[in-house]
Parts: sequence; C-alpha cells; structure tokens
Amino acid sequence: MKRSVYAVLLCGLLLAGVGVPAWAHHSFAAAYDMTKPVTVEGVIDQVRLTNPHSWFVIDVKDAGGKVTQWKFEAGTPSGMLRNGFKPNVIKHGAEVTISGFHAKDPTLNVGMLRELTTKADGKKYGMFGPQEGPGAQ
Amino acid sequence: MKRALIALMVAGAVALIAKFAPDAVSLAAGQAGQRGAPTATPAPAATAPSEPAPRMADGKPDLSGVWWNGGDVGSRGLRGGARGARGAPAPPSYTSLYNAAALEKAKTLNDSHDPTLRCIPTAFGTLNVSLYSVGAVGQIISTPKFVVMLQETYHGYQLIPTDGRKHREDIPPAFRGDSVGHWEGDTFVVDTTNFTDDTWMFAEGRVSFHSDALHIVERYRRVDKNTLEIEATVEDPKVLTGPWTVPKQTLVLAPFDQIMALNCSTESDSVMQGAFKSIAK
Repeated sequence: MKRSVYAVLLCGLLLAGVGVPAWAHHSFAAAYDMTKPVTVEGVIDQVRLTNPHSWFVIDVKDAGGKVTQWKFEAGTPSGMLRNGFKPNVIKHGAEVTISGFHAKDPTLNVGMLRELTTKADGKKYGMFGPQEGPGAQ
Repeated sequence: MKRALIALMVAGAVALIAKFAPDAVSLAAGQAGQRGAPTATPAPAATAPSEPAPRMADGKPDLSGVWWNGGDVGSRGLRGGARGARGAPAPPSYTSLYNAAALEKAKTLNDSHDPTLRCIPTAFGTLNVSLYSVGAVGQIISTPKFVVMLQETYHGYQLIPTDGRKHREDIPPAFRGDSVGHWEGDTFVVDTTNFTDDTWMFAEGRVSFHSDALHIVERYRRVDKNTLEIEATVEDPKVLTGPWTVPKQTLVLAPFDQIMALNCSTESDSVMQGAFKSIAK
C-alpha cells in the first residue's frame, strides 16, 4: 500500500514536471488532479474545436465490452490550428490512445489531454496540436 | 523517514505545479483576489529590420493587420516569454489596487466563476491587450471613418469612430463597452466606457471583476510596419483605489492576414464546477 502511495506521488511529480503547459488556460491544475494520470485507448467519437478549449470525445470499451465515453480537454482551437492541427485529421472512428490527468471530480469521466497518439500511424499530438504550424514558433 | 519522503514529494509536486500553473496554486491557497496581471509582454519574435509604418490616405498611420505576441498560446514562442523577465520587479497589478470592499468580494470568487467559461468576453484582455480580449490574437482594420478591432477567440469586435463624435448615450451597457477614438500625432487614443458589470477584466480564471464605472483609455502606436505598442490606463472608482497604469505591451505583426472564427462552448464550465465541488468535499 505504501509503495503504491510512493508510486502515485512520484508519477505526480514526474508528470507535473513535464505535462502541464506553462500557459494553460483556466488553471488546468485547479480542475485536474495532476497526481492522477490517466490513459485510455478507444475510438474517437467527436473532436470539438471550440473556444475557449477544444475537446476530444472518445469511446472506451472495457474487457467486458461495456463502452464508456470519456472527454479530454485540449488547447485553444485557433492555437491548435496554427500549430499545425488539421480539422479532419482525426476523424470519428479513429483509434487513439490518450494520456492525461483525471478531473478532480472523480465521478466525471473527464481528463486534461497531455498526449494523443493515433493507432494508424503513431503520430503524436499534444494539448496544442503537433507544434508544426506557423503558430508553433 | 517515510513520512518525510512523502512530504518532500508532495512539496516537490506543489512546487512544480506552481511553476507551471501559478494561478491554480494561489487559488488553492485562497488568494484569488491577489493574483495580478502578467507583468510583461512576451518578447516579440525576431524579425527582419522593419519598414516604416504604412499610412492611410489622410497621412495617419494605418494600424491594419493581425497582431499577436509572436506565437499562439501553447506554442513554444509564447511559452518562452509569457512570464516576463526573471528578477524584474513586478509593476502593480489591477487587483492590487482593489479597495477594501472589492478585496472582500474577491475572497468569495474563484476560477470557477470566470465568465469566460460561459462564453462571455472580458472587459479588457488577458494579456492586458483589449484587442485580444480572450486569447492572444486580434485584427485591426482601419477605414477613413472607423478603426475596427476584431477579437479572434470569442469573435467580438469594437467599432471605433474617428470622426470626432462623442460616446453614444442611446445604447445600453455592453460587455466590451462603447469606444471612440482620436489621433494625437501618430498615436491613436481609444476611450472606452459604458461597460456592463458582469464581465471580468481578464480570462484564465483570474478573479478580476470591475464595476459599471470602468473607464479604459488606450494609446496605440505603430512604431514600424511590424510593431504595435499599446499603453493604457484603467480607472474604476467603485472598485479601485486609484488609476491602474497598464504595463506597455508590444505586439508584432502576424505572418497571416486573417483571424479565424471559432465557436465557443461552455463544456469547460462543468469541469471547473466539478473541480471546485471536489475541493469543497
């Protein structure tokens, strides 16, 4: 039990150090628990490029076949788009893995996106897209 | 020993979170009303030697263009300088001028009350730039009779007449107020009043309410083709002890000529409410 406590705290330390953008909106650290990393694999239902933040909605199937829908909050859409994100590059039905941090309310299947990886080509996206466009100077 | 190790880890985690998201930590510490404005504009992106500022037919500088801080929120460019120079003394922030009643009110508010989570714009701007409001990109279109300022993130606008007319008295208060402009040499002065009192000055969860007595005067100067300097003074005698002199902002011309129109969703609002519900448990 104590070992698991240490492991959680250490994970929190490491992930807090590398995963929270310096210019995150709306105090992501206030809404998300940086000591509770979460990773899910599933199928994209929707990508909502909305202000103030974008959302990735993903259907996650457990071993018993039950599907649970998760939502992951990402960056400002204009920033993502100018950083090289294309509106239709991740479509409904795309298989992806998303890692991030769980919302502080444990009853919500909601997280802050830290990294999204597409299964088809292994391409990785951060909270503000692939950092390849004119906004990613 | 083990307790000490755990304490060390917790302290380290808090320190890292503070480094990357200081607003959140001050909120958790109950200091929402004390959080100040960003203290400096990020350093403009390196550009080639600039040409002189373009001019309109009447000889006044043409402020037209898309203006930003050299990168988007979340980009490497903006992340690098958004917190200002290390060791530089912080100028007074807006909330540091709150009067006693305002300070008491601020204690009752937190990140989850930010109106921008409900798609309501700011009265001023997160980076102390009215042109941006929420976000960090705005567009100016100069015409002979109006200077039009367009905000990207919540697709707002300000129509600023330059023909000498006074503030309108036939319209209700507005989120972004009512603006009139005039030229003082090559400096464009924008006077904005008639705000509602239900917005905040800044987004990003920074408690920064104001009253309907808010009065903002901004001075725009296009010093060359690629550079726009903005100085501002903010008055609100109902909540501030005196005028707030806004640190000078320096914007650069973006390498694109059109902002985007993107819708707003209140989805983040429910997450923030959940976060504070969780904290209260």
